[in-house]
Amino acid sequence: MIDPITLEVLREALVSIVREMRVTLVRTAYSSILYEGEDFSCVLMDGRAQIVAMSKGQDHPLHIVPVGWSMRAVREKFGDDIHPGDIFLHNEPYTGGTHLNDVAMIYPLFSPDGGMFVFPVVRAHWGDVGGMSPGSLSGRATEIFQEGVRIPPIRIVDRGRPNDAALDLIFSNMRGPRERRGDFQAMLGTCRKAAERIEELVGRYGSATIRDAVAELMDRAEGRMRHAIRGLRAGDYVYEAHLEAGTERLEPLTVRAKVTVAGDTITVDLAGTSPQTLGPTNVGPAMAPTGAFTIIKSFLDPGADVNSGAFRPLTVITPPGTIVNANPPAPCGGMVEVKYCVESAVMGALAQALDGKIAGDLKGGGNHCYVGGPHPRTGETFIFYEYPAGGTGGFDGGDGSNTVRAWTESDMTTLQPIEAVEQLYPVRIERTALREDSGGPGRWRGGLGLTREVRIQTTGAQLSVLAEKAVLPPFGVCGGRAGATNRFWVRRHGERVQPSSLPGKVSAFPLEPGDVLLMESSGGGGFGDPLERDPARVAADVGEGYVTAGTAETLYGVVLRKGEPDTAATAARRAWLRATRMHVRVVAGAELDGQSGRGVRLGAEAATRLGVSPGAVIEFVNPHGAPLRAWVASLAAASGAGHSLVAELAPVALRMLGVADGSEVEVRALHTGVLTA
Amino acid sequence: MFIVGIDVGGTFTDLTAVDDATGRVVVTKVPSEPRNEAAAVLAGLEALGIAGRDVRRLVHGTTVGTNAVLERRGARVAILTTAGFRDLIEIGRTKRNIPALFVPTFVRPKPVVERKHRFEVVERLAADGAVLVALDATSVERALDAAAASGAEALAVCLLHAYLNPAHERAVADLAKGRYPRLPVSCSADVVAEYREFERFSTTVLNAYLQPIMDGYLAGLEERLRATGYAHGVLTIASSGGTMTTETARRLPIKTIFSGPAGGVSQACFVGEVAGVRDFITYDMGGTSTDVCLVRDLAPLTTSDGMLGAFPVKVPQLDMHSVGAGGGSLAWLDVDGSLKVGPRSAGASPGPVAYGLGGTEPTVTDANVVLGRIGARKRLGGRIAIDAAGALRAVAELGTRVGRAMTVEALAEGIVTIAVARMTSAIREISIQRGHDPRDFTLIAFGGAGPMHALALAQEIGIPRVLVPRHPGNFSALGLLASQIKHDDVRTRVGPLREQRGVALELFGQMEVAARHQLALEGFAAHEQRLVRSLDLRYHGQAFELNVAVGEAGAHDLDLDAIEAAFHRQHLGAYGHSSPGAAIELVNARLTAYGLVPRPSGARYRGAGGSLDGALVERRTVWFDGAPHDCPVWERERLPERASLAGPAIVEEFGATTILPPGWGGAVDAHGNLRFERETRA
Repeated sequence: MIDPITLEVLREALVSIVREMRVTLVRTAYSSILYEGEDFSCVLMDGRAQIVAMSKGQDHPLHIVPVGWSMRAVREKFGDDIHPGDIFLHNEPYTGGTHLNDVAMIYPLFSPDGGMFVFPVVRAHWGDVGGMSPGSLSGRATEIFQEGVRIPPIRIVDRGRPNDAALDLIFSNMRGPRERRGDFQAMLGTCRKAAERIEELVGRYGSATIRDAVAELMDRAEGRMRHAIRGLRAGDYVYEAHLEAGTERLEPLTVRAKVTVAGDTITVDLAGTSPQTLGPTNVGPAMAPTGAFTIIKSFLDPGADVNSGAFRPLTVITPPGTIVNANPPAPCGGMVEVKYCVESAVMGALAQALDGKIAGDLKGGGNHCYVGGPHPRTGETFIFYEYPAGGTGGFDGGDGSNTVRAWTESDMTTLQPIEAVEQLYPVRIERTALREDSGGPGRWRGGLGLTREVRIQTTGAQLSVLAEKAVLPPFGVCGGRAGATNRFWVRRHGERVQPSSLPGKVSAFPLEPGDVLLMESSGGGGFGDPLERDPARVAADVGEGYVTAGTAETLYGVVLRKGEPDTAATAARRAWLRATRMHVRVVAGAELDGQSGRGVRLGAEAATRLGVSPGAVIEFVNPHGAPLRAWVASLAAASGAGHSLVAELAPVALRMLGVADGSEVEVRALHTGVLTA
Repeated sequence: MFIVGIDVGGTFTDLTAVDDATGRVVVTKVPSEPRNEAAAVLAGLEALGIAGRDVRRLVHGTTVGTNAVLERRGARVAILTTAGFRDLIEIGRTKRNIPALFVPTFVRPKPVVERKHRFEVVERLAADGAVLVALDATSVERALDAAAASGAEALAVCLLHAYLNPAHERAVADLAKGRYPRLPVSCSADVVAEYREFERFSTTVLNAYLQPIMDGYLAGLEERLRATGYAHGVLTIASSGGTMTTETARRLPIKTIFSGPAGGVSQACFVGEVAGVRDFITYDMGGTSTDVCLVRDLAPLTTSDGMLGAFPVKVPQLDMHSVGAGGGSLAWLDVDGSLKVGPRSAGASPGPVAYGLGGTEPTVTDANVVLGRIGARKRLGGRIAIDAAGALRAVAELGTRVGRAMTVEALAEGIVTIAVARMTSAIREISIQRGHDPRDFTLIAFGGAGPMHALALAQEIGIPRVLVPRHPGNFSALGLLASQIKHDDVRTRVGPLREQRGVALELFGQMEVAARHQLALEGFAAHEQRLVRSLDLRYHGQAFELNVAVGEAGAHDLDLDAIEAAFHRQHLGAYGHSSPGAAIELVNARLTAYGLVPRPSGARYRGAGGSLDGALVERRTVWFDGAPHDCPVWERERLPERASLAGPAIVEEFGATTILPPGWGGAVDAHGNLRFERETRA
């Protein structure tokens, strides 16, 4: 076995090679999305398609984890026909890519004994890969052909000889070919530098020692993960999360996760997830495992290195033909949205094995917001692009953070400086503010989202948006309430204009001069019952203006006098709020049509008291985890022993709530289910 | 008369004085007194036996400001900002700026100005600085009254586009001074006249946060020094490596925030110039961390994009890279049994086990004691006795848990190796960041633990040459003596460079008038002033800039062809490619103004007479590469001039120990530096 000192020295050396790769790519890339936006990741892999090392904190898990799939796709296609000097290119989602803009370069290396060794891979976002619109990503895509050039695993350099025919073909089909070629060369140079460093390491320590170190590092990461899994309660846990779709009514896409904890392994089975869709919210087989891994690692072993050892105890099943493993030619531009949804589903299921020790939900996707059109000064097309971060969820022991990149994603800027925006684009930013009361109420409050108001100062501009959680808000957990939804809307002559019937999905909405675009990002979900929040914290929130005095009273039950909690009035208010909460008796019934999400047959009186009718979305509170969201399928006649406040759910839904047949469960109305333009 | 340099650190206050008649340097160390920093300064002067009236110039470096921010005990700041934007200081660019990937429980640090202390004033400027909405004085008065009522101790005035047109900010400041004359006011355009509002506001708010504390500290220090007979102003070192007068430091305390490692780099430049070493990497290893900086042609890399914790601070500063590995870094076992070194540190208290101050967990220093690299009989800084048995016990105890049979020496050597591996990566990464190969540089090592690990580090990276200067343990304080007065100014005007020649000249003109006025106030005659111009440029479409030097002040024209050529060249160097023919944009005009102070004479080093044997302290067993070596220990001050040394050997002196492993040779150069080279093997 390798000695512990050499192991640490090699651990440091391997991660340092990845950091050097990052520095080299930033230093040599041609497009600003790489050298300023750092939208790329570097990784060392081995011949068995295992991740050896990434730099935690800078590389995006979203780029890195799928590299294993890319590598397997290369092996599947080329078998042993891989030789020193070969380099492969890949971006196809169906075989392990992310979206077409993220192009992976795979640079195999061989050890002196001839086997494939530790080698570098770079996955970088190319600013444009062709397709129907500049930048290649479009919410209007219905086929992948509209999203750019699709690169299955191909050998782009053959034993040192570049395949110029393929390169010409690729670059001829992309906008800005000079920049593309520059970025390609930068990726090549980055891999070469890494290869030199790996060769130096081999020269010094020998390939056998390095192989031993890599094996040991993976075994240790695996051991840590298995140890953490053994601490969970064994069993099957199911949860469902939703993507938003529909025109007149909300007809969601469902990601259904069954998490099975058995001994020291976890299986995530996504059977029951919605079939692939015509819109861009589909992914290939790599993204759902990436989301599942992100959640499991975050709650079980956040401190460990990221290498494939940590994945070994984890199996993710992605049924083909669904939105989590789409077949060609489904478009896959909305992969961030699907990944977020998988994360919500896995978090909700895992919560049941963690006694609810999770966190309130997040903003649900990229919040991509584009304003584009002819620039009045130059006539050239301008694109003002921002993707505002939202609040993070409350957790046991702390409030969520306000408007910040979440813990599931890399740390990037999502707003441009106003002083740059107003010089570059015909818009004026009129307000950038925290959204008061947007954080999900809870014993630990969700973080706040933001509002940004953008006045349009030109004619012919259009608005496009791709966002989730614009209808169904990020859920609170353990009795916590949801954060505010994402909202993207327009104020015209003081009137509110909804730019599309389905909130969050806007395609080329025409803007008029003087319009004000409001980008409002979601708040994080709360954790725990808001009536149990320390009144002093509520008072402080009101003092800071994070929570209004009205909400303090109606949702937290805290009555303030001169800014201080009135103890007696608060106790009375809280008792009253608790007593008047709406509860129903949930009973097991038949599985209902799942066309519009999980169905519930609601007693007529319950429906009346909740003020909902069929098609509405309601939320069953789970004091020990994530809430159950269900669609009112039909109203049942009053049934049971004088009990008219009933809800009939499939048995699996009762298990999601962790309650027995006949239990009393708190219920809240969430949305009417009706979409209006 | 003496020139005195004082480095007020968290644990120790280092003093260095040079007698400008003889060139003699004296040094000492006294314990720092947190929140009463001035007391340590006076105690140090007393320990050196120097009376205030015999001091001609006193330069000091302080972490008062840095600590106040990190410990969040600055003033209660109120911000006055453009209507609609009071939360901008909290929202920022929505980055976490702390390590939090995979950490659902992370909490984003809140800005130092609470939301209830943020007030809006009615005004608005356009992107070209034109007034869109005139400043409404009533709204300002209302905001000021509310700020005062909320208990504000300092005001930050942060208006959009003020870098182009500071009139509204100035008017707000005037109203504030009229209504609440005792409240210090920081205007964003005065603190950093650059665009990108969040970074500018963040810097301004932190400046306001520090103003009352630094004001009290500096006023107190000057007053107490005057009582000892010191008749001059106190100079404070800035993050950029230059010095500031007390008046500037009180107005712009944020400029001191990264000054901690600046003295060492300044001194390394001074030493390097004298010794003819122009390209080097400084390696400053202390108790808890290691700072490295790359210096090319005697110019340290600089930047103006700094972070203090999670908050941007946009002031000119040395481009340092810091690693959480120092002599006090703890060796520990992770949950999976892996052996780790740092970033947790034993700090000054309890400190390494070997210091006998209550530490029980082994540190890098303890490992060096076990290896014989730190002598048990030798005093460290003259005060602390070494508990070698304690260090051995602590390392051995860790060894029982490593889960693998290892001798205690092998484990100790492993601890040092792991610490060195982390610093190796840091140095490689800063070098390639600018497209350099570290092997082309000399390593200049200082700090309490630098010379101990420098040669091992150089060997790892493949750096063939190491220089250990004189007084490495007091090097930063020494560096203060060599620093010039420096004022940095900046103006932003974004536009095509070709169309901005006149604008740039006008901006330089404005800044030069202001700088000459300031330097004259500080007593510098025209011939003691040096004004250097530079421009921040980028290709059209880029979002960040490269700084291009464009010569000294006074020229009435700018050679745009030469400037563009220099920019293409720099871009090629920094990013590996350039785009001749692409449009270049001007972003900032910068002026650096120096007040030239006489430097301590580079008096020729006079070594001890006599033979090398006369410098031998002892021979002891020291471990290298798993084997014991009988190793001579030399006393640095008694080494004869030009003495040559061969590894394995140890050189001890006040405050530092240099380790010369087998395979390295060295010599004392004409200036008293220890110069080492890797022996080439046949």
